[in-house]
Amino acid sequence: MLRMRSFLPPLLFTIAYAVVSLGVTNSYYQLILTLVPVWAVFGLSWNLLSGYTGLISFGHAAFFGIGAYATALGQIYFDISPWLLIPVAAMLGGIAGLLIGFPTFRLQGHYFALAMLAYPLAILYVFEWLGFQEVTLPIKRDAPIAYMQFADPRLYTLLGLAIMLATIVLTQVIERSRFGMALLAIKQNEAAAEAAGIDTLAWKLRAITLSGAIAAAIGGFYAQVLLVVTPASVFGMLVSAQALTVVMFGGVGTVWGPVIGSVILIPLAEILHAEAGARIPGIQGVIFGLAIVCVILLAPEGLFWKLRDLLRKRDVSKATVNDAPEATAAKVTTLKPGSQQRAATGEVVLEVRNLSRSFGGLKAVQDVSFKLHKNEILGIIGPNGAGKTTLFNLLNGFLKPNQGEVLIDGRNMSGQRPHTICEAGIGRTFQVMRPFLRMSILDNVVVGAYVRARSDGEARKLAADAVARVGLSAVADRVAGELSTKELRLMELARAIAGQPRILLLDETLAGLGHGEADEVVAVIQQLARDGMTIAIIEHTMQAMVRLVDRFLVLDHGAVITEGLPEVVTRDSRVIEAYLGKKWAGHAAN
Amino acid sequence: MNKTSKGKTSKGLTRRTVLSGAAAVGLAGVARAQTPAEVKVGLIVPLSGIYTRPGQVMKMGAEMGIEHINAQGGIKALGGAKLKLVVIDCGDTTEKAKNAAQRMVAQEPDLVAATGAYLSSFTLAVTEVTERAELPVLTLSYSDLLTDRGFKYIFQTAATASRQSELGLPTLIKLAENASGKKPKTVAMLMDNTATSVATAKALKEKLFAQEGLQLVVEEVWTPPLSDATPLIQKVRSAKPDLLLFMPNAVSDAKLGLEKISEFGLGQGKIPTVSFSITIAEPDMLQSVSPETVQGIMTIVANWGSKGHEALIAELKAKYKEPWMTQNVISTYGDMWLMKEALEKAGKADRNSVAQAFRTLDAGPSKYYPGGQLKFDEKGRRVGAGVVIVQWQSGVPVTVYPPELAQSQPFWPKKS
Repeated sequence: MLRMRSFLPPLLFTIAYAVVSLGVTNSYYQLILTLVPVWAVFGLSWNLLSGYTGLISFGHAAFFGIGAYATALGQIYFDISPWLLIPVAAMLGGIAGLLIGFPTFRLQGHYFALAMLAYPLAILYVFEWLGFQEVTLPIKRDAPIAYMQFADPRLYTLLGLAIMLATIVLTQVIERSRFGMALLAIKQNEAAAEAAGIDTLAWKLRAITLSGAIAAAIGGFYAQVLLVVTPASVFGMLVSAQALTVVMFGGVGTVWGPVIGSVILIPLAEILHAEAGARIPGIQGVIFGLAIVCVILLAPEGLFWKLRDLLRKRDVSKATVNDAPEATAAKVTTLKPGSQQRAATGEVVLEVRNLSRSFGGLKAVQDVSFKLHKNEILGIIGPNGAGKTTLFNLLNGFLKPNQGEVLIDGRNMSGQRPHTICEAGIGRTFQVMRPFLRMSILDNVVVGAYVRARSDGEARKLAADAVARVGLSAVADRVAGELSTKELRLMELARAIAGQPRILLLDETLAGLGHGEADEVVAVIQQLARDGMTIAIIEHTMQAMVRLVDRFLVLDHGAVITEGLPEVVTRDSRVIEAYLGKKWAGHAAN
Repeated sequence: MNKTSKGKTSKGLTRRTVLSGAAAVGLAGVARAQTPAEVKVGLIVPLSGIYTRPGQVMKMGAEMGIEHINAQGGIKALGGAKLKLVVIDCGDTTEKAKNAAQRMVAQEPDLVAATGAYLSSFTLAVTEVTERAELPVLTLSYSDLLTDRGFKYIFQTAATASRQSELGLPTLIKLAENASGKKPKTVAMLMDNTATSVATAKALKEKLFAQEGLQLVVEEVWTPPLSDATPLIQKVRSAKPDLLLFMPNAVSDAKLGLEKISEFGLGQGKIPTVSFSITIAEPDMLQSVSPETVQGIMTIVANWGSKGHEALIAELKAKYKEPWMTQNVISTYGDMWLMKEALEKAGKADRNSVAQAFRTLDAGPSKYYPGGQLKFDEKGRRVGAGVVIVQWQSGVPVTVYPPELAQSQPFWPKKS
């Protein structure tokens, strides 16, 4: 039911648009009405990759142009109908996406964007070199419908609308599925997504393949509308820019963004061209550019988000009165000292053997070996720069060790990718929090659940359980950006346990928390341990640690100094020396 | 019905206004009621973006044409109806050109003919629209493809690209033989990869070089904009060809190439240099290179201000401060006269009748296009369309061929 209801707005919009366009008889306005869905679909295809994953593509014209040329050349040389050629173009676009994505996803951020820029420019020259500077679609006077050459321009608009509706629905389905969640997670924080068990490369490749296919299909349709294909008109910079413009203007990362952008910008550009351009040629570009600059300055994420934020603010100000009295951590049990109820068994779940990693001359971790027993809490301590976080990064796969082994349940997992290690049962949180700020708490946690869940429903259930376990059920629908540090720490914890790991790596989970807040979080961790979780925790706050952990592992300069029970370790002179210097070691001895 | 009754009331109103004393207004009203006061013709050219300049120049030609026709009594077959120019900016992309053409046919339903659109890619897109709207279009674009699509409403006044090289090269070789006493044997070709250059080069390589006994010793292609001409010219210098075909389509590319030729000591006719478009003879060239650099360089073009156009050239200079008359001006000017001719023949201000008039036109030798007749073949190509060879002489590109249009004698640069 919920699903069907969300398809209603695009359907209504499409019908309304179709009704309006059927009433327009002026062939010029009709052409503009056709171009709006064309650019909207192209924007949607860009959005599917760049809007959701945050990997900006400056080169979507590559796919668009491949589609346009496939459709044009197929008609010229093989006399195939565009009804068949456009699906073929989509396939070619998908293949191109895969071929381009595979090498290019090795790059990140600006490097990815710039590399993408190169593809359409390179292909443009190839097509020029092949001698396709100007290609015109053969006119079919005897079988116009079979070759998609309608005498009534309204049919083009309807066809364009059909493609747009299909793309919107497809995007919406993706948005709500594991696919969309994975892409959003990648956008918000790729490392966190990997650590949460998402195979980021695989999802990105799926996204670019689908995005390329849609772009190529609409490129083919565009060729059919324009009737003339030149490299500059389908592979040019302006084409790639058009996708960015409509999406940035309308709203990034939402299905409505490209549609809004296209509905406003395409007719606006044409009106300016027809009206202002006739009086002062060239002024249309200036006005158009200024309008875009203004909107981007006022609404950096696009009109859609600006409007939604405004509406939200109004709703929130109405609702705050009811919101306030609800205590957030009501469910959390109060702190009970000690952890004696648990009996750490002798079974080893994680074994680290001679693990080393150096960065140039710096030996960040050297020859570290230890065992983590089932159902115990191991505290990893050491002064700043001792190599604690590096050790965690080696354990969960962010870094590859120079030597040594990490055995999970006796299987060597060292050097595996983070999402694989996550699947093997290791969850982690981060010293610097990595929340997906735009997403709700529940959605943040769902991302972590997919590693275990087979269906979307199961993932939601696992996530809801995890949220309940950390005591955030009451605020589960709030956006992560609005949360306090403590709530974020708990949310990260929930995300880590949503994937039902057996071993949890907690990196300074108490950092930045006030005294009372730290106690709440400690209580949650203790509860997790009571429920059978094995935990390794890095922490500075000794006070909390001594009560929390069963055993300490002390690192200094990347090497293990000692390990043992809290009361023993805290009296060890080597530990005190490492923390406080030689002078205090002497004091402690007395 | 509704319309006629409206007409009557307005006429009635005018009469009353005349009676009330506003004589001038009343007379104008009567005149409008009797004859079609004006016939609209379109000019669809780039007036914004990087191709603005040629578009502006074409507008000058069209305006001059309209002015002259109207001053000489308008369209006589239509009772002296005046021509009115509708100018439409086709922008700088194929999509904009297509949209502009759609706008033209939708918003200006009483256009009877149009001319445009400078770049052949734009003309291709524009004529896809006008063909379906059955609006006849004259064009100075010379891509062969334009009139190879089986279209019925496009009329190409210039010789096609392949025809231009067919006509131009043999003449050039003859010219070289006459002037220097020997026939060139080797040729170097430097070209950009735009549609026109590619079409020209295809004709040259596939047929004409062999036919003229020329051996192609250097062939280099660049994608505009040219960033550095050094490697190109180095190859030319080491190959020492008898003839250099240098085919840029952007003034900046032409400038870079010519400066490098000069710098390498190949200028001033050390290696006779020939081009195939008007780019190298545009007034803009003199803003970036000295007259000495371009001295003697020849280009084969579809049309140029020539002998017999002196008055026009003088008027263009006085009115628009253009130093000479390029193909864009003279062809567009001629298009206006050609439209007049068709309107006289059609006797009706109706686009289909005008198109039919173009198809069946046979108005004798052409005054504003080189060679041939004012007559179109079944493809829409002007019968007998010729070429003009233009040579830079003392800072002005002058027509040197054909003899009947030549403003000056050609000189063949002496190879030292």
